[in-house]
Amino acid sequence: MAAAAVEARSLSKHYRRWNQTRTFGTLKSAFLGLGFSRALSPGEVVAALEDVSFSVEPGETFGVVGANGSGKSTLLKLVAGILKPNSGSLAVNGKVSALIELGAGFHPEISGRENVVINGIMLGLTRKEIEKKLPSIIEFSGLSEFIDQPVKTYSSGMYVRLGFAVAIHTDPSILVVDEVLAVGDEAFAHRCLDTIREFSARGKTIFFVTHSLALVEELCDRVLYLEKGKVKGIGDAREILSSYRLDVSAQEGERLAAVQAVNQEELRQASAAPVEIPSEASSPAAPETPTAEEKPRRWGDRSAIITACRVLDRTGAERYAFQTGETLTIEIEGSPQRPLDDFVFGIGLFTTEDFCIHGTNTDIDGFMPERFDGPAKVHITLPACTLGAGTYLVDVAIHSRRGTPYDYWRGACRFRMDSPRQDAGVYCPDRNWNFLGAVRWK
Amino acid sequence: MLRNLADLYRHRALVGVLTTRELKARYRGSVLGYFWSLLNPLLMLIVYSVVFQLLLPNRSETTSPYALFLFCGLLPWNWLSASLTDSASSLLTHGALLRKVLFPAEVLPFVAVFSQTAHFLLALPVLFGGLLAAALGLFGPARPLSWAIVQTVPLAILEGIFLLGLGLFLAGLTAHFRDVRDLLATALSLLFFATPILYTLGDLKNHPVAVLLSLNPLAKLFTSWQEALFFGRWISPGDWLRLTALCLVTFVIGYGFFDRIRDSFAEAV
Repeated sequence: MAAAAVEARSLSKHYRRWNQTRTFGTLKSAFLGLGFSRALSPGEVVAALEDVSFSVEPGETFGVVGANGSGKSTLLKLVAGILKPNSGSLAVNGKVSALIELGAGFHPEISGRENVVINGIMLGLTRKEIEKKLPSIIEFSGLSEFIDQPVKTYSSGMYVRLGFAVAIHTDPSILVVDEVLAVGDEAFAHRCLDTIREFSARGKTIFFVTHSLALVEELCDRVLYLEKGKVKGIGDAREILSSYRLDVSAQEGERLAAVQAVNQEELRQASAAPVEIPSEASSPAAPETPTAEEKPRRWGDRSAIITACRVLDRTGAERYAFQTGETLTIEIEGSPQRPLDDFVFGIGLFTTEDFCIHGTNTDIDGFMPERFDGPAKVHITLPACTLGAGTYLVDVAIHSRRGTPYDYWRGACRFRMDSPRQDAGVYCPDRNWNFLGAVRWK
Repeated sequence: MLRNLADLYRHRALVGVLTTRELKARYRGSVLGYFWSLLNPLLMLIVYSVVFQLLLPNRSETTSPYALFLFCGLLPWNWLSASLTDSASSLLTHGALLRKVLFPAEVLPFVAVFSQTAHFLLALPVLFGGLLAAALGLFGPARPLSWAIVQTVPLAILEGIFLLGLGLFLAGLTAHFRDVRDLLATALSLLFFATPILYTLGDLKNHPVAVLLSLNPLAKLFTSWQEALFFGRWISPGDWLRLTALCLVTFVIGYGFFDRIRDSFAEAV
């Protein structure tokens, strides 16, 4: 195999924290040839990329994914040669054309045609080459009607189309694409994708950044997954993307866990408070159905108190992000103020739009109360929680069999479900398709 | 630096189209277009003539007609001041470009200086016309037209080199300290009076600041412009040598500085 198209070895890039007082020092050290970040202490730099190594073979379509601020764009600019790495080495073999910001450098006052010529020369074509390609560029952009108008009269979509048309005609051997296909209308987006596919079919290397994972999955052979400037994974597109998706939902889970922590803290304070929780809804005939905003989040006469509510996974570990079909346990921790012989533990599952998906309690499920006279934990386990993708809220309650709430807590915790498939709705059942008659599938 | 210059030579087409673009964009939408480059200095010359012939007649014999004398220093000065102002902010104005497209950054200050050079060259015919008019006696007693005027060519080349060097320096500095732009405006108006444009160094022979003013590196250049254009005298080989040295050294230092800090531009602008 020929030399790699792009080869990065422990690439690092730092940005300076903006701090005017040090400008003189850094400028001086730069002028003396010591390099810009030499004069900066670690506290004054932000690492955008750290120790990133990878190599892209010629002809490969290589995707980069990661959250905002993970260093994707910095990496692209390094590959395009616009930024220089602070350490490590980066070898790029071949002519790079970067679709980083299309139409960068268009001058608003002059015509589209003149801008195409300038942009082409800026991207490394000679004047002769650009003159020759001009008709095909204009044709591709679909702007022949407007090509002699000043660019300032163009819509943003037209701007990008013209920019893309020029960049694609510079005949690069490595094409760097950064999140540019989001603009332009549907038809043009398809055209761009077709062009990119055609590029890849002609054995050109493509370096691709986008937030559209579906697009990455479709186009890329291999994927680099960046997290906070470090390589989190690199390899087969499907494999890396599924791990990226898992991480994203885990992060979502972490966020929910943080919400949960705050909730629990509130709860602790509420239970420590000597005064009774306002119990305007304490009658069993219950609430005069206040509107959602006015609904108190907790009420009850505090004969028993819920001290914690958690969501656990199969192993019993606390977790707030699940995949459809996983085992899920809701844990209610509570203790009575005085020994009780009339008690019911209940849960309710709601969507964020306050739609009740399921509600049950120990009474409904046939448990007869005998004695509740100390701290206890109650688990309700859903062996296969087949909720669809989304965020769900859990209500928990301890009340009497007649319905008098001891402690009723709305939205005690929330968790996230993700479905590996793109199916819709709150319910994600196992399913089988059967076909009878004249219908066939590939 | 030689490698950079070679690289820049390869990008000459870019410098060319960008300069043309600047010029085109400058006059886009105006009825007279390029003609303004010629018309502006002409109107300026007429205004000065009215003021200094009719309102404030000049008593000094040597610098008469004063409007024409002033014009000989003013055109190269306007070129200098506009070039430096434009090139100082060139990296900032085109910051989006530097962050998105790969090309040698020095293209930008070069384009700034070159497009101002075009304006200067377009204004020169007005100056020559004025000198010709003076030779025909339209501004009072006829003044002979001297061949020394051909020194315009080497002087313009030297000033161009000087402006490129200083422009690169200022562009690099401004990328890191925006203050330079504001400081430059003040510095230029101070320099305008400290440089022999409104007067000749000879006028101030016995003035206490004369020595100080002659230390101004621009004094030599502008005295030479006055000598060549207005007085029609030949510049001495020694002065040519000094001028060439000044311009080349400025260029080398300015470019060297720019080159050293070039990697920081994409982040700084």
